[in-house]
Formats: sequence, structure tokens, C-alpha cells
Amino acid sequence: MIIQEGMSLQRKLEILSDAAKFDVACTSSGVDRKGTQNGIGNSVACGICHAFSADGRCISLLKVLFTNECIFDCKYCINRSSNDVVRTSFTPRELCELTIEFYRRNYIEGLFLSSGIMVSPNHTMELILEALRMLREDYHFNGYIHCKAIPGTDPALIEALGWYTDRMSINLEFPTAESLKNLAPHKNRKNILKPMRQVQLLRESNHEYLGIRDEGLLPYDGGHRDGGGLILGGGRTDTGDLIHVKGSHMDSGMLSGDSGHMGSSLIIDDGGRTGSGDIILNDGVRTGRKGLVPGDGGHTCQDLASPVEYKGGISLYKKPPIKRSRFVPAGQSTQLIIGATNESDYQIMSVSQALYDSFNLKRVFYSAFVNVNNDSTLPSTQDGPALLREHRLYQADFLLRFYGFRVSELLTEKSPNFNVFLDPKCDWAVRHLELFPVEVNKADYRTLLRVPGIGVNSARRIIAARKSAVLDFKDLKALGVVLKRAVYFITCGGRMMYPVKFNEDFITRELLASSGGTPSFIDKDITYRQLSLFDDVNFKPDEKFIIQRHSPV
Amino acid sequence: MGNTRVFVCENSIDGIFTAVYDAWSSGYGHNNVRIEEQCEKNSYSNMALFSDYIMVKTDFDKAVKVSRSVRAKISEEAYEMVCKAALSDCQGKGDLIYRFLILGFRMGAGIVNHLSNEVVNKVFKLNRNVNGEVHHFLGFIRFSEHENHVLTAVIHPRNNVLTLVTPHFADRLPNERFVIFDGNRNICSLHVPGKPWVIAEIPEADADDYRCRADDEYGKLWKTFFNSIAIKERTNLKLQRNNLPLRFRKDMTEFIPDKPISEL
Repeated sequence: MIIQEGMSLQRKLEILSDAAKFDVACTSSGVDRKGTQNGIGNSVACGICHAFSADGRCISLLKVLFTNECIFDCKYCINRSSNDVVRTSFTPRELCELTIEFYRRNYIEGLFLSSGIMVSPNHTMELILEALRMLREDYHFNGYIHCKAIPGTDPALIEALGWYTDRMSINLEFPTAESLKNLAPHKNRKNILKPMRQVQLLRESNHEYLGIRDEGLLPYDGGHRDGGGLILGGGRTDTGDLIHVKGSHMDSGMLSGDSGHMGSSLIIDDGGRTGSGDIILNDGVRTGRKGLVPGDGGHTCQDLASPVEYKGGISLYKKPPIKRSRFVPAGQSTQLIIGATNESDYQIMSVSQALYDSFNLKRVFYSAFVNVNNDSTLPSTQDGPALLREHRLYQADFLLRFYGFRVSELLTEKSPNFNVFLDPKCDWAVRHLELFPVEVNKADYRTLLRVPGIGVNSARRIIAARKSAVLDFKDLKALGVVLKRAVYFITCGGRMMYPVKFNEDFITRELLASSGGTPSFIDKDITYRQLSLFDDVNFKPDEKFIIQRHSPV
Repeated sequence: MGNTRVFVCENSIDGIFTAVYDAWSSGYGHNNVRIEEQCEKNSYSNMALFSDYIMVKTDFDKAVKVSRSVRAKISEEAYEMVCKAALSDCQGKGDLIYRFLILGFRMGAGIVNHLSNEVVNKVFKLNRNVNGEVHHFLGFIRFSEHENHVLTAVIHPRNNVLTLVTPHFADRLPNERFVIFDGNRNICSLHVPGKPWVIAEIPEADADDYRCRADDEYGKLWKTFFNSIAIKERTNLKLQRNNLPLRFRKDMTEFIPDKPISEL
């Protein structure tokens, strides 16, 4: 290991930001906070992007590692202990100065602090806690702080940390525990989910204490998040059940994975409860929460929700909740690496759904795998990372969070991956033509949301605008509806814009053609040619042929 | 049919409101009057035939009367929409606001949702445009530190967003002295701790005086960070351009070359 003394701040920043670049979630959203008299900084709920780097991603926060020294040996990580890279760490003061000075110049919205693991998880977290405490209390920094929690940290440290940060995240890394075990041998599922649950419970009790109500995922119509029950066309009453039956069985055990058999309770792998599997089974209804967290440390969930003492020695950090202060106000997020292991989109999305439903996460982020270590046991990413797949996952993720979709509607075990040609919403719509067309002047908010080409904003505008006038297609265009997609699925005053053959193949072809044909990045080698009577192209039922068949004619 | 009367007013909220007052109270009928704000784009040319041009002298009292009745008889939301529309750089916004208010006084608070109406929709779009640019600048403004810890920033916005951008920074940096200079309009906003911020006109100013200094140590650190945070394998300059259009970059620290171009 190379350790350099007296490295310049510039070099440190270069190393520690380079090492942090694969962490996604550079968002600063979720909290509205006014500035204070003697401090510096405020926070805006919608988040602010301050720059965009050459990869087109937003830079909102000063995203750095506290240290890139690490005792763990995760195969996908550039900082794994077996790699020979230059190691360095910030001092808490350096980090504070950097944050404040960047913030003053409006370079950043706050700090995103992650870290390698130096000595032990607790040791590292103590240093991070000290840095954040200094930033908040000595420098009176009132901007946004996002902090990664390290799996295996003492619950008391996690709790202390939560009072200083706006968002906390613990990376789940992989959808199944098996992959995690293979690629990150020092991490385990239990240690990741346990602090996640702890933070969730502490947030809930903090909210209760302050009298804040958590809004649902579809806040506009005050709906419940288990809105999987939405069925277009109305007339159904028992909708929730319908989805329930569909969704429940498949989803169960998605987070467990340890032993692979479904229906087993997912987090309790030490036999705390049997046959519950409740995390995912009850859509949104969380009964039997007790026991979802492993009982190894003797913590029941009740224990986790109340302040815990840190037995590690530093009692300094046992900080009682200050009145009106909020615990992790912007909520939790996590991150999944996509494409390093062979899980299907269905598995990935089911995990996300379970995290949203039962851990109340704000976001799940997806990160297309880049083989930085050229590790032979991991897939090569020479052709570039799986960006299209990542894109589709994000699209589906938004459908879960803002559009009331359930994973079971988008994917099934039989077709476990997203369509590369169509976005998940269009794909769903063409498979459910029985629910369309929708009358724009009558349909409710949730029904409108399900129409391709209509998003959250345009659905709201439609509902507002139709109060004072009957809407026509040209009005929809002015309201921001993407007509080239929506036109196949809506009527205005009982008419479609032009006659449409209401058939899955036809609409799919039209949708593809209107988006400029086959997306160019899918297969650049496909070209079109006149059909020959002679088989001079050497047709074989290979992959290319199948793609060709689906392409617009 | 008589001539159209064109009320020519100053390009400001007060100017447009005064013209609205004058046009309304002139009694010529809404169809026979038009409001035209004076701006560089339409100052000399394009005078219409068969029109009488009436110069409106901005009158603060009249403007206050208009704003008071908009807030009382339509809604605060409509008032905000009108003000933001007045700050946009759209040509013909004065007349648009006039038509919007005619409709507004008839419909009441519901006007803001009447998006299928052409006028309302245009005002709505102007608002979205202004709000969008304000939001961009909340992130893209770059301060640099000068002597005595004064922070300065230069922006070149399309819309007149300075009054909308400054409150955010006054709240965020209450203990800083800062100046934000609008290079397109030669106006700047000034903030001093403990006092309300002000807008000042400085016709002679040179944007270069407010630009980032090349010797700011943290500017260099920021550039380092900006470069190392990008993932090489995912380079996507088109996406970067979509999210951060080129027009913002000339005022942003990370896109300004280390040496001035003349020295390269």
C-alpha cells in the first residue's frame, strides 16, 4: 500500500473525488430549509444542479470519499484492499473548509460524503461523524448533507449521524444476497438492511414527535402508495385485491435470496420468525413489523426506534433529539449495481419495489457497472456500460414512484427484462389496449397518468384546465402532452385525432417509427435492403433476424 | 373605424402596469388599444400604419393601483404570473399582459387554470420560461472572491431574472457581501449583511470587473473536482450540452480556461 505524507489538498481532492465518482445519487432534493441568521446555507426541496460533468450527469454536491483506504475487498470497487492505488484521507477540517468555500462560491449545494473503511466501520464512522459535527456546529453549515452509512456500524453511531445529515444512504449494491456474498465478501445483506430499518423507524418516530405526516407517493390525489390497484375505466371496486394476488407471490422473497426459496422471511436469516415473508407480501400494509430486523443484537424494532447507547466508548455522540430538529429529513436512498451480476430486470425492480414499500426509501439508484479493476470474474464492459438498461430501470422506477404502477404489471417471470425498443410505459400500454382509449375530458388523475405521453405535470394541467373548458388535441399539445405517443391512447370529446387501427402490432410500429425508428444505439449494423427471392443474405433465425422483424417497416 | 391607439411604455413591471391603467381608462375599447413595451428589439422600426402612438410616462401610483386590483380581484397567483411575464424578454408581453388581465377581471381566480385559452397559455409559457431560467441560475451562478471577502458573479440571462434570483442568495449567504451583475442589462444586485438587498443600475460597468479571478485557489480546486468526477466510460457531451447549454458557460468557473485566450 502506498501512503503519502503531506499530500496537497488538490491531489487529495483529485483522488478522493475520482474514487467517489461511481456513487450515484448526487441529488440535493427533499428538504426545504430557510437560511439562518448566523450560519451559511439553506436547502431547496426540488434540489439544484450546479453543473454537469462531461458524462452529462448532474453535479449537485461535493461528492468525495472521506478516505479511500479500505479493509474490504469488494471485487467491483477501485478501492478494494487488494488494489495498489494511492491512498489518502481528508482531515475533518480540510473537508469543512472545502465544503464551505465551495458553497460560498455557489459551486455546490452541499456535501455528499462516502468513505472507504479505515480500521473498522465504527472507526470510520466516528471520523465522519466528527467531520459532520464540525461542519454543522463549528462552521454553522446549514446546507445539504448526504452521508453514506457503512454496513456494520454501531446503531448508536448511525443514530448520531442521522441528526446531522439530510439524507442517509446505505448501498444495497446487488439485488440478491448471493451476488453480494460473491462480489463483496466482507458485506452481508443483514448488515445493510438493519441500519436501513433503524433509520426508517427513527424517522417515523421523529415524524410522530414533530407531527409531520409522510406524504404518499402519489401526493396529488392523496392516494395510498399501494396504488397498484388502479384499474382504468373504472367500475372495479376490488382492485387492490386483484393486484395483490398477482403481485404478492412473485415478489416475495426478492430481498431474501440467501437461501433462494421464496416465501421465507427475507431479512431474518437467523430464524427469528418463520413463514412471515411479510415485508413484501403485504402491499404497503406493514403489519408484524417486529422481527423484520434480525434479532441478533437483541434489538427489537422498538429498541431501534429509541435512542441507543454506543458501547464503543465515545459517549460524546449520544445526542438527544433537539426539539424541532429533524432526523434524516430528506430520507434514505440506496444504490444497485446493474450488469455485474446476472439478475433480471424483474428481480431488480422487485427489490426496488420492496424497498419503497417496506423501507420507505425515497430513491433507489441504478448504476451501470463499469469494470474498473478488469477483474476476470466480472463481465467485461469494453463496449461501454449498460446505459440503455440503466435508463429503462430508471424509467420503470419513476413509474413505481409517481405513476402508481406495480412491478408485476410491467414485468413477469416469463418476460423478466424490459423491452429495449419501447419504454416501459408504452410497452405496458400496447399490451393493455383493452384499457384504452381514455377520454381526456373525463378520466381521473390516475388513469391519465397511465397514458403514454402524459406525465405528472401534464396530467395535473389537464385536470386544472378542463375545469374551464373542454379540451381538444391542440390544447393538449399546449399543455405539454407528447402527442406523438399519446395520440394512440386518448380521445378528446369521444374522437381520436385520426383513425387508428387499434391493434398491438400497428401501434407498436407507429410508436417506433415516431421515435425515429430503431434507436440507433441498439444495433448499428442493421441496414435495410430490398427483399430478394434468393437467399443471398443467408437468413438464419439468429438474433439479428428477430430484431429486424420487429423493426418498423 | 378609427385608428388603433398604441400605448408605448417603459420595459418594466411599473411601466407596463401604467400603460394598462392608461389604456383601460382611455375608454377607447379593448379592441382599439394595444400596449407596446419599449425594448431594444422593437424600439425604432415596425411602427404600424393607422395607429396613434401614445407615450406613457411611468407613474408609480397608477402601477400600484393596477397591482392592487389584480391581487384583490383576481388572485395573488395571477399577480405573480403577470409580474414574471413582465420580466421575460418576450416581445409583445405588454399587450399579452393586458389581454390576460381583461380576461382575468372577467373570470376571477380561475384564470390561472384556463390553459386552453391562447393568451393564458402564452402567459403560462412565459412563466415557465422565466422560472426555468431562474432555476438554472440558482445553480449556475459562480461567485468568486475579491479583496475584503466580497463575492462577485456575472450572468447574462435572457429574461430579467436578477430580482428573482437574488432573494435565494440573500437567504443562503446572509453573512456575505455579494454582487450579482447582469451583463445584458448593466444592472446588479447588492447584498450587505443585515440589510435588505438592492438593485442598482451601473451603465458604465464592465463585466470583466466581476468575473472570476484566475488566481482563486478554490476555483482551481473546483476545476480539479469537476474533471475528476466525470466517468470517462460514460462520456456524453450531448447530454452535458442539453443539461448545461453553452450560453451559460462563459460565466462559469469550470469552463473558463486557466489562461486567458489571448495568452494561449
